[in-house]
Amino acid sequence: MKDLKHLIYFESLLENANNELIKQAQADGQLAIGYTCFHVPEPLLNVDKCFSTRLRAPNTGSIDIATYYMSNYTCEYARALLERAIEGGYQFLDALIGVDACSMMNRSMEHFELLHVNDKPGFFVTHCDIPYKIADYTLDSYEKQMRIRVLDRLTENYGVDTSDEAIRKAVAEHNEVCKIISEIREMRKADNPVITGYEFHVIDLVTYVCPKALILPYLRETLEELKTREPDPKPAFRARVAIVGSEIDDPSLTKLIEGCGALVVSDRYCFGSTPGREVIELNDDEPALRQLCLHTMQVSECARYISDEKVLQRRETADKLAKEFKAEGMIYEQMKYCDYWGFERALVSHIMHDEYGWPVLSIDRLYNNGNSGQLRTRVQAFVESLEIKRIHKEGK
Amino acid sequence: MAKAPKFPNPAFWRAKDNINWKAQGENLKEVGGIFWDMLKATDWKEFGQKTVDDFKADGQRIKEEYADFMALSKDEKIDRILNGEKSLGRLYRKGAMATVRREWRGIKDTAYDFYEWAHMWGMLLMTFSRDLIPALNSALYYRWMISYFCCHGFMDKNIMGLRGSNLRMSHLLIYDIFRYVAENLVFLAKCDKKNGNSQELNKKVVLFDEMTMGQIMAGFPDLLGIPYQLMPVFLVSEIDQLTCVPYIDAVESYGLPSDTCPVPSSECGALVVDALPHMGSCFISSSMPCDGSTMASSYMARRFPDLPVFHLCFPVRYEDEETVQMGAEDIRACIKFIEETTGAKWNWDAYFTQMKRFNEETAYELQKWEINKSRYPQLLGPCYELFRKWNYEMDGGADPRTLKTFQKVNKILLKAYEKQEEPWPGKMKYRAIVWSCPAHYYANFSNWAANCWGINVLVEMESLNFTKQLETEDKEEALRDLARLYERMVMRRHTNGGYQNVVDELWRQCEAWDASLIIMYQNVACKNMATVQGVLDEQGRQRGYDLIWVEHDLMDPRTVSRRTMRDKVSEYMRTVKQAEPVDPSLVEFEDEVCM
Repeated sequence: MKDLKHLIYFESLLENANNELIKQAQADGQLAIGYTCFHVPEPLLNVDKCFSTRLRAPNTGSIDIATYYMSNYTCEYARALLERAIEGGYQFLDALIGVDACSMMNRSMEHFELLHVNDKPGFFVTHCDIPYKIADYTLDSYEKQMRIRVLDRLTENYGVDTSDEAIRKAVAEHNEVCKIISEIREMRKADNPVITGYEFHVIDLVTYVCPKALILPYLRETLEELKTREPDPKPAFRARVAIVGSEIDDPSLTKLIEGCGALVVSDRYCFGSTPGREVIELNDDEPALRQLCLHTMQVSECARYISDEKVLQRRETADKLAKEFKAEGMIYEQMKYCDYWGFERALVSHIMHDEYGWPVLSIDRLYNNGNSGQLRTRVQAFVESLEIKRIHKEGK
Repeated sequence: MAKAPKFPNPAFWRAKDNINWKAQGENLKEVGGIFWDMLKATDWKEFGQKTVDDFKADGQRIKEEYADFMALSKDEKIDRILNGEKSLGRLYRKGAMATVRREWRGIKDTAYDFYEWAHMWGMLLMTFSRDLIPALNSALYYRWMISYFCCHGFMDKNIMGLRGSNLRMSHLLIYDIFRYVAENLVFLAKCDKKNGNSQELNKKVVLFDEMTMGQIMAGFPDLLGIPYQLMPVFLVSEIDQLTCVPYIDAVESYGLPSDTCPVPSSECGALVVDALPHMGSCFISSSMPCDGSTMASSYMARRFPDLPVFHLCFPVRYEDEETVQMGAEDIRACIKFIEETTGAKWNWDAYFTQMKRFNEETAYELQKWEINKSRYPQLLGPCYELFRKWNYEMDGGADPRTLKTFQKVNKILLKAYEKQEEPWPGKMKYRAIVWSCPAHYYANFSNWAANCWGINVLVEMESLNFTKQLETEDKEEALRDLARLYERMVMRRHTNGGYQNVVDELWRQCEAWDASLIIMYQNVACKNMATVQGVLDEQGRQRGYDLIWVEHDLMDPRTVSRRTMRDKVSEYMRTVKQAEPVDPSLVEFEDEVCM
């Protein structure tokens, strides 16, 4: 296929947490609000003069200093962020919005405060309490936390307008991004898609890390380009796979998987498009904040939600996506040392195989995987097994 | 004054069993087959040789002990007879599953110790005889039940080196725990569908995730709340260090990463190998204390899909008063769930009665703290550590007999304080505090530290929980208080809700208890604690504390053995403190397979 016009530019935006568009937005007087977790409704961080940037630590090398503070058997993502913070890589942030959803990420953010990694005037770190299940009273608490710990702090520190109107405006802009990503995502359902999993991963990631208003023109153009893009006559992939699991902000993992002959057609993981790139429908009857909180709770696929209906939802979503996108197998993955996904992956990878009938590859992985020979071997074997299954099926 | 109702509710004992005798026969046949296979596989020659070697070793030991005694001066001999032995390392032997004999504590204390030993046996026999067949039949289903037969050995380890008032108080405290365990073991056996199969009792049983506190059951006096995994997994791992190994192996073979906390791992492993009784009318799962525990509930639902479950989920940022109402509402929802599932009705009078008792117990607890903070601490050692956790977490004022124990213990405590007794006579060298969660497989570590190095653990992190007097009049505030209590459960109060609760709090407690030495446990799978280790280390050094980091793997002694744990302390004491051991026989000894 012909290269996408902006792909290299998109890749360059992922090379550094403080990328070109962030610098441009800040030069225009906007505030960079960092966050990591889906439990923070993204549009809340895009109100008024704020823009959200979901934190990554691209090109992470040594994480020795973070390991000193957080030990060597904790989440590498959390440690990589701390290491980058200590190096001064997040000095550009105006605020960091944390949720006490998983202990390791919470601690990572606490170290931002303890080690004073950002000395920008007005910079603050906040920690919100997040519910484990959906009920009226958990929604009340969630809404209150978002108001007190996020919106009020933005107003107090920077005079940000966090009115209902401002939130609705941010949601409208957010929805425009989501519509484009959703439209591109639909293209992956084709038998011979015009976009690879890697390309989609890169495009999706830039929407999380860049100011929405500045990335939108590039997204619009890319969508138009894809509409007329011609796929290769003979697909390069040998099997279609869906990925399910914990945080992946490193597109080289998708590249590695696709380098083994697979095509990644579905991305049900943190930083992926499910959840995160659904259009948010707001009514006029209730406050936007409450609706936004409820939406986030409902679409969240985080393993932290332990109520029975959410546990089932996660399995059903993985199954539904894999079917819709014509996957032949699933890769259940977790970031090494992630407690939530460690338990979830171990159990559900069996369930998806035994009860839903999916071939499943179950892996735990590091934060950076682009060069993992071991992982490559496992994916290659999985792709081969899927091919063999297909041959057997066709032979019957 | 109205007579207090009996505890546990006599109706629970009277509940009729429905044992399937045919199934028992089949199980007996299967177990018999296993025994037969074991007998056939046994190398009898080696077994005979081992027995002879043990006899020889005993003979040698007696000879040495005799020679050692005879070498003492007259005064020393009198001291040994009256005050007991000094070289406790002698009680261990390489390859032995138990100590070689009981400790000589001097005439008076040994006599008292044997009295309590017999008292404990009497209680166990009486309790088991309340429904003997299912109770003993459990041993034919669950390997963990066998470990409970060694509970006296566990008691002995926990009171090693204790004398006088501390010995008496420790016996009283551990007796209550064992009584609770024995009663619940019988209830488990009665309820287990494979065993006693008492449908009548099962209708009344509410199962709790093992770390979930029992106080909510105070409002349901006609129901029986049982911490489900406490007996088969949690507590037994304190008695027998090897109990959880098969569970951990099973769940790791299933695919669970080995870096997860052994508590939820073992619970899930117990489900994988079917080591938990099939019982109860419903299950209260919990998001506490940490991320791993949260996730274990989905394994439970997978194993017992027909058991109704309520997920009790409390705020993590519990110091934020804005979150309290969510916790209170969740408790209200949980009460409603129990009512709907069991048909029972919440009883505020019963709840307030129990909470008043719990408040009284808390007041007694604070009295102990005050004395232990003083220059003459009196109640030290693992029995007290275990009792505090059990009382706070499981009993919660439910059993009126426990209040009597509090009264007796505090009476002894005050007298001992007046007399300025030493809980570890001649071994009061360092005032220490234990931080982070201790290793289950080394429950008596503080006992070893005192006997070997004179390190006296005044308090451990897990004892320092919620001490507010709970509301006993206003119903809405009572729910909020209950939420506050639950949010500060053992293993949660410090490790959740922000680093201040574990880092700043440690320095505050060190000052309050006048402790300069910190045994800093490092559960290698506890991410909550691992993620503050650098800060603790830095700030501890800046403040001039002796921080001894002791790694362990909570329920898996294969990762870090007891010996390795001891070595960490010994090395620090030798190299940094330039200290000499109080009892050199405890510096090096073998207990790799000792329960």
